[in-house]
Amino acid sequence: MKVTLRVKRYDPERDRSPRWQEYTVEVEDYATVLDALIKVREEIDESLALRCSCRSHICGSCAMRINQKGGLACKTKLAEVAGDGGTVVVEPAGNLPVVKDLVVDLVPFFDKVRAVDPYLQPAGPPPEREYIASNEDMENVKGAMACILCGACVSDCTVLEVDPDFLGPAALAKAWRFVADPRDAADEERLGALSERNGIWDCTHCFMCVEVCPKDVKPMERILDLRRRAMEAGFKNNNGSRHSDAFVETIRESGRLDETKVAIRSTSGLGELLSWSGVGLRSFLHGKVPLSHKPIPGAEHVRKIFDKLETKAGEAQ
Amino acid sequence: MKFAYYPGCVAKGGAPELYKSVNACLGPLGIEVEELHGAACTGAGVLTERNPELADTLNARTFAMAERLGLPILTICSTCTGTMYASHERLKDDAYRARINEHLADEGLEYRGTTEIYHLMWILVEKIGLDKVRSLVKRPLNGLRIAPFYGCYIVRPSRLVDPEHQKRDTYLEQIIAHLGADAVDYSGKTKCCGFPITTMNRRNALKLTGRNIAEAKDQGADLMVTPCPLCHLNLDGQQIDAARVIGRSLDVPILHLPQLLGLAFGLSPEELGLRHHIVTPRTVLQKFLAGAAV
Amino acid sequence: MLQHDVLVVGAGLAGMRAALEAKKQGVDVAIMSKVYPVRSHSNAAQGGINAALSEDDSWESHAFDTVKGSDYLGDQDAIEILAKEAPQAIIELENFGVTFNRDERGRLGSRNFGGASHARTYFVGDFTGQAILHVMFEQLLRTGLTSYDEWFVTQLVKDDSGAIRGVVAMDIRTGQLHLVKAKAVVLATGGMGRVYEPSTNALICTGDGMALAYRAGALLMDMEMVQFHPTTLKANGALLSEAARGEGAYLLNKDGERFMFKYAPNKLELASRDVVSRAEQIEINEGRGVDGCVLFDLRHLGAEKIMERLPQIRELALEFAGVDIIHEPVPVRPGMHYIMGGIKTDVWGKTNLDGLFAAGECACVNVHGGNRLGANSLLETVVFGKRAGAAAAEYVKSVGDVRVSEAWLRDEEARIEGLLKRPEGEKAAALRLEMGQTMTRNVGVFRTGEQLLEAQAKIQELKQRYQRVSVGDKGRIFNTNLQFVLELENMLDLAEVVVASALFRTESRGAHTRLDYPNRDDANWLKHTVATYTAAGPKLDTRPVTITRWEPQERKY
Repeated sequence: MKVTLRVKRYDPERDRSPRWQEYTVEVEDYATVLDALIKVREEIDESLALRCSCRSHICGSCAMRINQKGGLACKTKLAEVAGDGGTVVVEPAGNLPVVKDLVVDLVPFFDKVRAVDPYLQPAGPPPEREYIASNEDMENVKGAMACILCGACVSDCTVLEVDPDFLGPAALAKAWRFVADPRDAADEERLGALSERNGIWDCTHCFMCVEVCPKDVKPMERILDLRRRAMEAGFKNNNGSRHSDAFVETIRESGRLDETKVAIRSTSGLGELLSWSGVGLRSFLHGKVPLSHKPIPGAEHVRKIFDKLETKAGEAQ
Repeated sequence: MKFAYYPGCVAKGGAPELYKSVNACLGPLGIEVEELHGAACTGAGVLTERNPELADTLNARTFAMAERLGLPILTICSTCTGTMYASHERLKDDAYRARINEHLADEGLEYRGTTEIYHLMWILVEKIGLDKVRSLVKRPLNGLRIAPFYGCYIVRPSRLVDPEHQKRDTYLEQIIAHLGADAVDYSGKTKCCGFPITTMNRRNALKLTGRNIAEAKDQGADLMVTPCPLCHLNLDGQQIDAARVIGRSLDVPILHLPQLLGLAFGLSPEELGLRHHIVTPRTVLQKFLAGAAV
Repeated sequence: MLQHDVLVVGAGLAGMRAALEAKKQGVDVAIMSKVYPVRSHSNAAQGGINAALSEDDSWESHAFDTVKGSDYLGDQDAIEILAKEAPQAIIELENFGVTFNRDERGRLGSRNFGGASHARTYFVGDFTGQAILHVMFEQLLRTGLTSYDEWFVTQLVKDDSGAIRGVVAMDIRTGQLHLVKAKAVVLATGGMGRVYEPSTNALICTGDGMALAYRAGALLMDMEMVQFHPTTLKANGALLSEAARGEGAYLLNKDGERFMFKYAPNKLELASRDVVSRAEQIEINEGRGVDGCVLFDLRHLGAEKIMERLPQIRELALEFAGVDIIHEPVPVRPGMHYIMGGIKTDVWGKTNLDGLFAAGECACVNVHGGNRLGANSLLETVVFGKRAGAAAAEYVKSVGDVRVSEAWLRDEEARIEGLLKRPEGEKAAALRLEMGQTMTRNVGVFRTGEQLLEAQAKIQELKQRYQRVSVGDKGRIFNTNLQFVLELENMLDLAEVVVASALFRTESRGAHTRLDYPNRDDANWLKHTVATYTAAGPKLDTRPVTITRWEPQERKY
């Protein structure tokens, strides 16, 4: 199979800005993007820089953007992204500074991993033998242990594009792994810290990390689970928690969302509320603020369901 | 072609023009609907993250109502669609569905697992067909450059919302082309509008909003179209604030998908609720649809 | 001035465990690796880690299985330590946070593995190595010790007395060379799989530590003992874990026959790796294979077990062979996987060079002898990594000021400059491929003196041609090409040692099968081979095997 790789290159010793270079190679039908890149590096252009090692999606070295999507080059089949005679676009991973060609700076990435205190913190001295834990719990934690810290999720995280300080999906999935681990005793501290700025409430729920993760870790779902656990642990003095409570409350009351009420109740106080006045006024003037919020027919049934299933939130309030 | 119609909360709240424009398009498209007036909010992902069982119960309730009518569900919101799909997937488990059904028993409802869900965008391509859509065009949108904006929930996770690999993340472009306009390609089209963190981190939310619009504009878009009213709340409703945060002018009108259809079908601005837009599409439409009363 | 008490080179499991232990002793420790720690090849160990933990098992049984697996070439004092310290090592990993599978009582649950008389392999699904490596990395982050990530060591540095007192290393990101002084250096640089083509090993497995130590005067022991794993995929040499056979998978020939009944009637597919690989190769050579492979059949395990316990194997087979193991057998063949040999050390990781320690695959303690049992490699890394770290920390307490000449750095700078300035010549990748294919063809599952001599000549030719290899990338920043040229030099030296050692051992034992010397020869060869560097090539000698309680017997599975 013949394919053309269109590679975004940048050599800080030669280039003032990134440039594109195309390479055409003949590869086996089952070949991956990494196979083709290695072939280029070995036979055509030895100066092409990339990280790669295991070739079987376990070491996490070769995360990059392939056709605008984050992923592992060793897990991406050329036949699926280019096909015979096709072109595949290869760029360095996003949201991290480029060192050279397809190599990005991982220092900020690992700094964030470090920032979540990524080690087990059990209570008291270790037992004589192993901690007793159910296989179900271990299986649950394993879902996140499958993370190879490749950074594909970070590459494509939409929040990181606008806010480099966001902890990001990889570090938060790592944090989840300890919170969900029955052997860890620092949940309280962890959830408190994660509820702060740049933490769990800054995730925009866009599924990008879920979509690109090569190990099916589903970082976003871990983040959402951390939110639930943080609220249950009483970390509620934040807009995220207030938004969640207000959202639930308006649906409980009427069966449907009351955007105005949710917006008002989610804010931390009058000052923040005032910052919304422009949007509020403009919306009102364009007939976008309903004058009354009517419950759905049968709203009492919805309320009953809430009363049955939302006792926890009720208690917390 | 008949559907159980689930307009969602925002179409009946902060985006009344969406509800209006869908109603205006149903006739020409040959779609009959029975609105599920008693259906509750899907939870928009917020309920799911907090209490999955609660969200699934509310959605199972809606699915049961449609099932009773023997109709598939028609949605007009990316977020509703994605949230429903996630519940729908979990409810395929018989034991779990039985447990959820216990919560519905009081109301005499039971979900047997047969309801199908379609967003209007999917119906246009998969059920009605784009050739038919093109045949309905009375006022081709020739010369208009339109940037599609999908919203997250209707394209991700793809294995959930596009299980048969139909490339549902290209439908807007196909529809735009069949209405006579040019689709603008830009990386922001499947990114996040910022809405879900509007109250948590408004600055980041507005940056996301602004960045996507700016990118579309830089690629030459005259206007943007979205199948998601929540995206619309940010892209249109907060565009002025977004422009301020990213420090540049935007002024790109944002249309709901049925509004775009309606314009091409020759419907009037009143029928499509265009007066409700914060960023008015008037100037753009006057320029390109000269002769039409807009 | 970069200086530490203990410098660990290599940040896989053995290296990180050594660093943690040394740090615990209160000395200044740094760890250096050419890749970020979590990228290390310990990741690839899928199936598990051995320990006699259950009440009906014993360390003696584990040790005997290991001795027998080694074809009696393992040193029994070291094997006793391995087996005795295994339970505590597993418990420690669990306490660190490894999410080992549990039984119904919430205790550690084990699985069967090749060559073992008990189900003593503890595991995390089929990504045990990755799970342990990442947890070890968590512990490393906890200590906050200095980590030189993406630094490539080009030379071991000696003081005037000849003791190893640091390294010259290239910061890959900038391309700059640095002299990093240390009172002790612990090498934990892993294996040398890339000497062969194909190999299950990662691209980073270029044997750097072994080659550095060898050129500095350390002994390389039993380098002819190269393990071929029985179940690798034809397309790209990817490994399907022994866990699959542990769970009950079958090997079939083209007639659908479970041929292991002929070769190992008791243990069948769970005989040791050398036995199974030889059996497969015989089936293939005698025309009962399928397209150069035999068939690996997991269908009878059922979808549920495969999805819970072997998901990665299914994924790999799907991706690289296009086969769903739930529904059809997948073709497999023996593939180069591991080297039992390495830098000769004592049971504390100490080498014959003052100040130099080694642990993990790059070392040869020697617990694996002629053939390593599955799930003993992860165990070796933590048991002997810990010991090497402790011994190095203890050792540095008696070392005074480090005095090494800056000339080491200048010489290395000149060498690198020279490489970069070479006129355009041969490509390093082409040479590596020729070397790898030669090694697979001539120094594989079966060997003959004739084939080995041919390989020897070829390696000599390649070493000559290496002098004309050029570096296409002339920059300094992240120059992976330059690094590869340096790695190739390491690999060629090791290839030469493997061939020489294989020629030297005129018997068949463990993974080393000489068709011209088909029998095990305890009278002459119950001995280790050791290779010493000389300018003219490796000088071979022997060392006695330590036998404590298990006299050699005939080996049957």
